[in-house]
Amino acid sequence: MTILSADSDTIIAQATPPGRGGVGILRLSGPRSLEFAQAVVRFTKSKSSKVTSTQEMTSDVKPQLKPRFAHFAQFFDKKNDLIDEGIVLYFPGPNSFTGEDVVELQGHGGPVVLDFLIQQFLDLGARIARPGEFSERAFLNDKLDLIQAEAIADLIDSSSTQAARSAVRSLSGEFSNQINQLLESLITLRLYIEAAIDFPEEEIDFLADSKVTKGLDEIVLRITSVLQTANQGALLQEGMRVVIAGRPNAGKSSLLNCLAGENRAIVTALAGTTRDVLREKINIDGMPLHIIDTAGLRTSPDEIEQEGIKRAWQEIELADQILLVVDASGDNIGKNVSMDNVQALWQEMVFSDKIWADKILKKIILIRNKIDLLKESPTEIENTDLTVICLSAKNNKGIDILRNHLKKIMGFKNLGQGQFSARRRHTDAIERALKFVKAGEEQLLNAGAGELLAEDLKQAQNCLSEITGEFTSDDLLGRIFSSFCIGK
Amino acid sequence: MDFPTHFDVIVIGGGHAGCEAALASARIGAKTLLLTHNIETIGQMSCNPAIGGIGKSHLVKEIDALGGAMAAVTDLGGIQFRVLNSRKGPAVRATRAQTDRALYKAAMREVIENQLNLTLFQQAADDLIMDGDQVAGVITNMGVRFNSTSVVLTAGTFLGGVIHVGLNNHEGGRAGDPTSTALARRLRQMPFRVDRLKTGTPPRIDSRSVDFSVMSEQPGDTPVPVMSFLGSTKYHPQQVSCFITHTSEKTHNIIRQGLDRSPMYTGVIEGQGPRYCPSIEDKITRFADKDSHQVFVEPEGLTTNELYPNGISTSLPFDVQLELVRTIKGFEKAHITRPGYAIEYDFFDPRDLHHSLETNCIPGLYFAGQINGTTGYEEAAAQGLLAGTNAALRALDKDQWYPRRDQAYLGVLVDDLITRGTKEPYRMFTSRAEYRLLLREDNADLRLTEIGRTLGLVNDRRWRAFSEKRESIELELQRLKETWVGSESKLGMAVGSVLGKPLSKESTLADLLKRPEMNYSALQSVDENSTAQGQIAEQVEIHLKYAGYIDRQKEEIDRLKRYENIELPDSLDFRQIKGLSNEVKQKLSDSRPQTLGHASRLSGITPAAISILMVYLKKRRNLAG
Repeated sequence: MTILSADSDTIIAQATPPGRGGVGILRLSGPRSLEFAQAVVRFTKSKSSKVTSTQEMTSDVKPQLKPRFAHFAQFFDKKNDLIDEGIVLYFPGPNSFTGEDVVELQGHGGPVVLDFLIQQFLDLGARIARPGEFSERAFLNDKLDLIQAEAIADLIDSSSTQAARSAVRSLSGEFSNQINQLLESLITLRLYIEAAIDFPEEEIDFLADSKVTKGLDEIVLRITSVLQTANQGALLQEGMRVVIAGRPNAGKSSLLNCLAGENRAIVTALAGTTRDVLREKINIDGMPLHIIDTAGLRTSPDEIEQEGIKRAWQEIELADQILLVVDASGDNIGKNVSMDNVQALWQEMVFSDKIWADKILKKIILIRNKIDLLKESPTEIENTDLTVICLSAKNNKGIDILRNHLKKIMGFKNLGQGQFSARRRHTDAIERALKFVKAGEEQLLNAGAGELLAEDLKQAQNCLSEITGEFTSDDLLGRIFSSFCIGK
Repeated sequence: MDFPTHFDVIVIGGGHAGCEAALASARIGAKTLLLTHNIETIGQMSCNPAIGGIGKSHLVKEIDALGGAMAAVTDLGGIQFRVLNSRKGPAVRATRAQTDRALYKAAMREVIENQLNLTLFQQAADDLIMDGDQVAGVITNMGVRFNSTSVVLTAGTFLGGVIHVGLNNHEGGRAGDPTSTALARRLRQMPFRVDRLKTGTPPRIDSRSVDFSVMSEQPGDTPVPVMSFLGSTKYHPQQVSCFITHTSEKTHNIIRQGLDRSPMYTGVIEGQGPRYCPSIEDKITRFADKDSHQVFVEPEGLTTNELYPNGISTSLPFDVQLELVRTIKGFEKAHITRPGYAIEYDFFDPRDLHHSLETNCIPGLYFAGQINGTTGYEEAAAQGLLAGTNAALRALDKDQWYPRRDQAYLGVLVDDLITRGTKEPYRMFTSRAEYRLLLREDNADLRLTEIGRTLGLVNDRRWRAFSEKRESIELELQRLKETWVGSESKLGMAVGSVLGKPLSKESTLADLLKRPEMNYSALQSVDENSTAQGQIAEQVEIHLKYAGYIDRQKEEIDRLKRYENIELPDSLDFRQIKGLSNEVKQKLSDSRPQTLGHASRLSGITPAAISILMVYLKKRRNLAG
C-alpha cells in the first residue's frame, strides 16, 4: 500500500494573525523553500535601503542560509527593489515543524508589505497553503503525535469554514458581479470552441471566426479590470468584523458612535430608527476592526424595516464577534446573566422562530447598556459561558473596557485566514487565469492551434473556479446542447 | 443439465461489448464461452453504419492498442474513411469510417470463430447460477447450466426493451430481435438500481428512390486513412461517398402537426434520451428558430440499396414519417424500407460498479456496454474489453486492472460512469477528458500497448511492430536533439529559407521543429537525414511541438496520482470521521469510493474533506502499528 505522504508543492502562508501587528511572519514549506528564499533574501551589512552597485553585481550569488540560525537580511522583489528587512530562518527537513524544508521570514507586519512579499513567492512557483495545511503536512510526516490528529481535523474543518466565510465577505457585490460577468464571457467563448471541436460535422466552425479573437480581447479586458478593482482594495475589506445587534432602541447606534468616536449613526428615542446596515472601520491600537450597526431585531410590519432586519441577520451570520446589546434597565437582565438566559430572552422576545446556532452563540459578548439608569458603574464580568460588559453608551462610560476586551480577543483569536489572504487567493487565481488566456491567444494567432487555445481557456476557467465553484465538463456539454442544435 | 465443461469466463451477448469481452478474456488465456441468442447477429451494427468519430475513434484506437478487434474489423468493413478536425490539432483529430454492415459483421464473426480459448453457444440466457453471494454461471432458456468463475453481462438494450412507432409499442430488442425479459426480471430482483433510457433511429431509405444530384457529395479523404495501428489501405473494400441534404420549413410543419401522435410528446416514453442526438421532432421543438437541419445520407453497405439518413431519428407514426421524408431535398420520391422507431430499455446505475466493471454486490459478475447507460458501439466495445479482461484476470487469480483518467479515454469513460453515474445515454466527447492533449488517437499504442502486453492482451505480432515503432521514435528524437545547425552552415541557410528569415543562432533540429513555421515534412525537404515516415514522423513532430503543454499536464497528473494510489479500506466507516460535514459523510457513505482519488472526484467533496480523510487514514495506520 502506498505511503501517505504530503503534497510535493511548496506552500506559503502568513503565520501571524493578519492586521497591523508588530511582526509579520511568513512561512514556506516544501522542497523548493530554500531555493525560493534564496531568490528573495540578501544579506547586507548596511541598513540603508539603497542597493549599492556591488550588491547588484553579487546578486547572482545565492545567500547561504545556515540551518536553524537567525540571519538578519533584506527582502527584495524581482526588480531588485527592497521590500522589507527582517529575520530569516532556515529549517532543513526533517528537523522542522512540517518535516519538510521550512523557511521563515520575519518582517514588519504591515499587511501591504506582507502581501507583496507573498506575491514574490507565488511568482516563483509557490502556492498559497490551504487552511491547516502546515499542520496536515506535519502530521503526515510524523512530526505530530496521534492525539494531535483529532485537533488537526478540527483545525482543517474550522479554518476552511472560516476561509470560506472570509472569501464570501471579501467578495463585495460589485466584485462578485464582475467575476460572474467574466466567467460568463469565458464560458460563452469556450462553448463555441469546444462545440467546434467536439461537433465538427455540425455547421458551427467558430475557430475560423473573428468571434473568437473578439471574445478573447473582451476577456482580457474584463480580467484586467477585475484585477484593478481587487488591487485597489476599495471593494474588499480586512480586519475582524464586529456586529452590533439587539432589539430596537437598545442603544446599538449610540454604541457605534462611541466606538467610532463620531456621530455616524442617527440616534433617536424612536425604536426602529436604524433601517439599514451601517459600517465603520476603526483601529484599536493599530489593529483594524469593522463595526457594523444593524437594524433592531423584531417583527415589524414596516417593509423597509423588514428588509433592514433581514440584512442584520446576514451580518450576524458572517460576524467574527457579536455585541448583543440589551437595555439593562428595561430588559431586566442582571449581572449574573448566563447564556441560557440570553437564549431564552431571544427566543421569547425577539424571534420565536429563529433559533441561535451554537456557532453564533459562541461569538456573543453581552453588552448591558444604559447602566446609568440603574446607577451602576461600568465593569467587565466573565460568567462561565458568557462575557458581560456593563456600560453606558449615552454617557461614554465603559467604552474603554469594551475596547480592551476587543483588543484581547483580536490578540488571541487565531484569525488564520484574514481578509487579506482571502483577497490574495482571489487575485492570485485571477492573475493565473489571465496568463492562460494570453497564452491561448498567442497559440491561436501564431499557430492557429484551436486545441491549445481550448486547453488554455479550460485552465483559465479552472483558476476562476477556485473563486466561483466547480464547473464540470458535463456542465459545459449541457450548455453546448442547449445553445446549439447538435444531432448527427 | 449441467454442461460438462467448466468455463473461466462466460460472456452473455454478442454485440460490440460482448465480442471484445470474449476476445479479451480468451486472449489472456481464460477458457471463455460466448453465449448469444443468435450467432447470426454477432457484431451487428444495429444503429448507424459508422465506427469512430470525435472521442469515439480515440476509444477504438485504444481497443486496438490493447489487442482488440474493432479497429482491424473496421479496416475490413470501412467503405469511406475521413479524419475529422484535421486542422484543429492532433489531440482532437478523429478518424471516422462509414461501414458496410455485412462486411463488418462477417469480419467480426471470423475473428471470433478463430480465437483460441473461445467457444460459441447459441441460446438465450435466462438466469444466473449463484454460489452464496458470488456468481457461478448461467442458465439458458432451455435449462442448460453453464458453470463458470466469472460472468460478463452485455445485454445491450435487450433488457425490458420496448419499441415505439407513433402511439403503438411492443416489446423487442434492436433491429427486429426479441427482448430478454426473463433475465431482466431476474436482475430486477437483485440489489441493483435500475432506470430507463431511450434512444432512436431514423427510417431507412431505398437508394433507388433518391435523387443524389441535388445533394452535396461528401467523398472520403485522400490519402485514405486507416483505423488500426497495424492497418493498411490494402485491407479496405471499395470506397464510396456520403451525401448531405437538408430539411425545410415544410418538413418542420409536418412534424409539428404530427406531435400529438408522438410517444415522446404525449408522455408515453418515460426514458431519458440523449441531448446530443435528439430526434427530429426534438430538434424542431427546441430550436424552433432554425429553418433547416442537416441530414447526412449514409450508405449502409456495398451490396444493399438501403441508406441511413443520419439526423432525422424519429418515433412519429409511419404516415408522418413518410410525409416528412418526402419534403427533404432529393427524397421527394423516397421509399422507406424500415420505419424509424424509439426504443426504451433498462440500464443499471453504473455507480453500483467497481472501476474494473465488476458489480459491487455480486462478486464475479461484470457489466459492460449499454446496460451501464452508455451509447455507441465504441463505448460498448471499450467497456467489453475492460470487463472481459478483468473477468479473466479474476478467474486466473490475478489483480484487476483499469486505466486512469490520464492514461486513456477508457479510463475517463469508466471513471465518469462510476463516480457520477449518468442521466442520459453516455457518449464520449473529447471535452470530457481533462488530459486531452495527452490522450490522442495517434498515441493510443504508446499509452497502452505495453500495459496490454503485460496483461496478456497483446500478441507477438503487434508487440514486435510496436516495439520497432517506439524505438524508431526514440532514435529520431535523439538525433533531432543532438543535431546542431549553425546559422552559416548549408543546412542552416536552407532552414532559414523555409522559416523566411535567417537563423539568429546555432540551434538543434529539435528546437527548430518547435517553431510554428516549421514542421517535419518541411525539414525533410532540406535535410536528407530526416528520413522518418508516417506514424514515426507524426509522433516526433507532436512530441516536440506540444512539449510545454504535455509537460504541464504530466506535472498535474503526478500531483494527483498520489491520491489515486491511496486506497480507502472497505471497512472504513465515513460517519465516524470527525471533522467531515454531514453532507460529505453522506456522499462518501453512498458512493463508497475505492481510492482517495475517486473520492476527490465525487461532486461536493472539498479539498478540506480530502485533507481530513488523509489525516484520518494516517492516524488509523499509525494506530494499527
